[in-house]
Amino acid sequence: MIEEDILKKLKNEVDDVIVMSGESNSSHIKFVNNKIAKTGTEILKNISIFAVWKKRVMFTSLKDFDQNTIDKTINNLLKFIKSLQPKEDYYGIAKGPFKYKDIPGLYDKSLIHVNQIDLVEKAINAADVKRCSGDLILSESNSRLIGSNNVDTSTKETNAHFSIRCFMDKEATGHQVISSPTLKNFDVEKTARIAGEIAKMARNPIETVSGKYDVVFHPMAGAALLETIGSSASAFNVSSKMSFLENKIGKKLGNFTLVDNPTIPGGIGSMKQDSEGVPTNKTTIIDKGTLKTYLHNTSTAKKFKTKTTANAGLITPEFFNLVLEPGKNSFKKILPDKGIYITNVWYTRFNNYSTGDFSTIPRDGIFLIKNGEISQPIKNIRVSDNMLNIMKNMSQIANDSQQILSWEVGSPVTTPSFLVKSVNITKPTN
Amino acid sequence: MIQEDLADFSVNYALKLGAKYAEVRLEQHKGTSFLLKNGIPEVSGFDDTLGMGVRFLVKDTLGFVSINNLQKELTKDLIKKAFKLTEDSYKLTEKTKLTKEDVIKTKYEVKQKIKLENISPEEKLKFLKGIDKETKQAVGRFYSLSDDVMHKYYVNSEGAKITQIIPRTNFFYYITVNNKADSLQRFLQHGNVGGWESVKAWNLSEKIKDEIKAMLRNLKEGKKLKPGKYDVVVAPEVTAIMTHEAVGHPTEADRILGREGAQAGESFVTKDMLNKKLGSELLTVADDPTIPGSNGFFLYDDEGVKARRKLLMKDGKINEFLHNRETAAEMGTKSNGSSRANDYDKETIVRMSNTFVLPGKTKEEEMIKEIKNGVYIKNFMEWNIDDKRFHQKYVGCESYSIVNGELGKPIRNPALEITTPGLWSSVDAVGKNIAHFSGTCGKGEPMQGIPVWFGGPSLRLKNIVFK
Repeated sequence: MIEEDILKKLKNEVDDVIVMSGESNSSHIKFVNNKIAKTGTEILKNISIFAVWKKRVMFTSLKDFDQNTIDKTINNLLKFIKSLQPKEDYYGIAKGPFKYKDIPGLYDKSLIHVNQIDLVEKAINAADVKRCSGDLILSESNSRLIGSNNVDTSTKETNAHFSIRCFMDKEATGHQVISSPTLKNFDVEKTARIAGEIAKMARNPIETVSGKYDVVFHPMAGAALLETIGSSASAFNVSSKMSFLENKIGKKLGNFTLVDNPTIPGGIGSMKQDSEGVPTNKTTIIDKGTLKTYLHNTSTAKKFKTKTTANAGLITPEFFNLVLEPGKNSFKKILPDKGIYITNVWYTRFNNYSTGDFSTIPRDGIFLIKNGEISQPIKNIRVSDNMLNIMKNMSQIANDSQQILSWEVGSPVTTPSFLVKSVNITKPTN
Repeated sequence: MIQEDLADFSVNYALKLGAKYAEVRLEQHKGTSFLLKNGIPEVSGFDDTLGMGVRFLVKDTLGFVSINNLQKELTKDLIKKAFKLTEDSYKLTEKTKLTKEDVIKTKYEVKQKIKLENISPEEKLKFLKGIDKETKQAVGRFYSLSDDVMHKYYVNSEGAKITQIIPRTNFFYYITVNNKADSLQRFLQHGNVGGWESVKAWNLSEKIKDEIKAMLRNLKEGKKLKPGKYDVVVAPEVTAIMTHEAVGHPTEADRILGREGAQAGESFVTKDMLNKKLGSELLTVADDPTIPGSNGFFLYDDEGVKARRKLLMKDGKINEFLHNRETAAEMGTKSNGSSRANDYDKETIVRMSNTFVLPGKTKEEEMIKEIKNGVYIKNFMEWNIDDKRFHQKYVGCESYSIVNGELGKPIRNPALEITTPGLWSSVDAVGKNIAHFSGTCGKGEPMQGIPVWFGGPSLRLKNIVFK
């Protein structure tokens, strides 16, 4: 096996080495204005190598697998690593072997054989709008992780992702996504129907005035905000000053519980081990509003004088399945008397990661809330606020959890709709 | 090794299966990357990748295959599998047409004065360490350097065969400057096509030191801008991002036709807005991939079409859209060579290259001199724009008040929040100066980041309301 060959050749030459290999088969249908615009089919193989010699850290990947290329890559790696300088705050990887518990619901053969054209057609019909565009992506992958730390583990997964944006006209749109490793939880028609309903409700939007509003964020929009909290929790970002959570351990930041849980059965980001091979577990990042921990690999944990949370990516710690603990109320019950309902956002950008100042643009259906009901659609607004304020003012959380993986939310976030009080809404002035 | 014979075979194999048209991009990348965080080499690496993308038109539907295990039998199987999926899509197809374009056979290589392969990893790390040593006044220093040499072979069933060898360099920094509990952050990217000589020309230590000095002054003396109406002068870095976001993106024909509607979005611009006024007649905006050394450089696009300068806006009017062969066919015109994919495994779509406002006749000093009470925005930090490209926000990083024709005290984070017609109509002076800036533009599903330049001169914007 190539992986063993690489490991065998490297482990006597360097201090730490992890070899991660993967092969994926996937297919993609892109539909535009109710018609199929492109189909895609791919087989991609990849081997990533993480190696450390006398604290010199390097990373490479191989996508060409003949023996000559492999030997050449290993020789280059050994030459390259010896020319580097030490990362003084590198403290090693976890030592195995480890025992793993398989996570159910991550593989479903039937998903690979599903008739994709039918699925897309059914979704377009279910949306029942003037036009809709989107993507259906199905994949099957095998991956293996072996290392000099006595780790050897393999995973087989399937994945389905569907994104649909519905248009009643240029300004009346609705967007929904669904992702699942199994077919039974992959209801594209329901997803399309919801996106269609939002688009229909969003017709004839009006301008509104800037100011402070109580805002309800749909899971599509809320996930984009929560993702910035998950990313800020990475110890790498904390030590890079790219986190608004620096120096906040033990501090009360709000009234919600946020966990990273890679062990959820059927979770899109679920995995039994992190990139060092450490068995994953549920990590409570924020417990009833109090920041409990950052996300660590073995090395950052030692630097921060704590234990790994099993969140190693090959280079930096990261979250796998971020989950906002749901509340008890229905969506309708968390609607304030007066406010704004945002169904999606995009282009979230920070002015300063350490202070948390940011803005993001609501897109698709945006609505005024009047007398506790969703009413008039509005347009051309921006959320210009601070993430610490957003966390502090998150006052109600509904029970309509949805797992979101989208263009805007690159790592999976499960969240219900939530209400944030007094959000700063701005608008173009000229 | 680039396996041109496999690429040629794949084109013929697709035709044999019944394709009306087929093309292959065989793409190899070799590069290195280095990341220094607060003086510590976080991670370094090298990459050597090779893969192939095959696109074909069957039953008026586009099919695409990507593979990096370049064995003939495996490739045949995959193309056959992809054919079935594409043919099965027939009942829902949008009936894609591609324009007829000149058939080109050529080879070229961008020369490197100092070859990237001759610069050792030690030297590259030493280069980053040198910048770090000079910029320690910043409490957070995140410096990344990467290079890549792309060798691309393009072949299509119409007879085109194009080989392009393009080296690239890239530097990204992210710094944090503190004054007690107060902080400012700033990032910028540098990128060129060329060898190590382009890295040396960036003069990074001096530029970053100057920025830190300005940020420290801003932290100590900067005041919030009083709400009101001001005349604003934006320096080239701000003009550059505005041009990319609010002229380049809205004139991409695939957005206008709805092809990117699901993710990257559509455009407030419609087909019938060609030759319609979008802004001041002082404004002309070009997109030009043929500028030697530029970050968005290429001479032939990923559909084998010769690249050329396009005027997206001419004298304030929308003049030309960015097209590939698919959008051009739909709008009854010719492709203008704007089709790009960021690697072999991504579909080629309409992209910008180097997009910039052409210089005008006014000196920046003259623009400032004529303002009694205004704002000068040199560079920016936070920005965003809606998915129809209609309203946007740019938040100044290094910014100053303008009082009686002269630069005054620093201003903290002035937020220019404006509509696209509002922005371009407010321009009453275009500078003689010009500068270009590098970026990685995101579009497509899956997301494709592609190297671009954006640029322009200083601009004066009249009567801008700040809240």
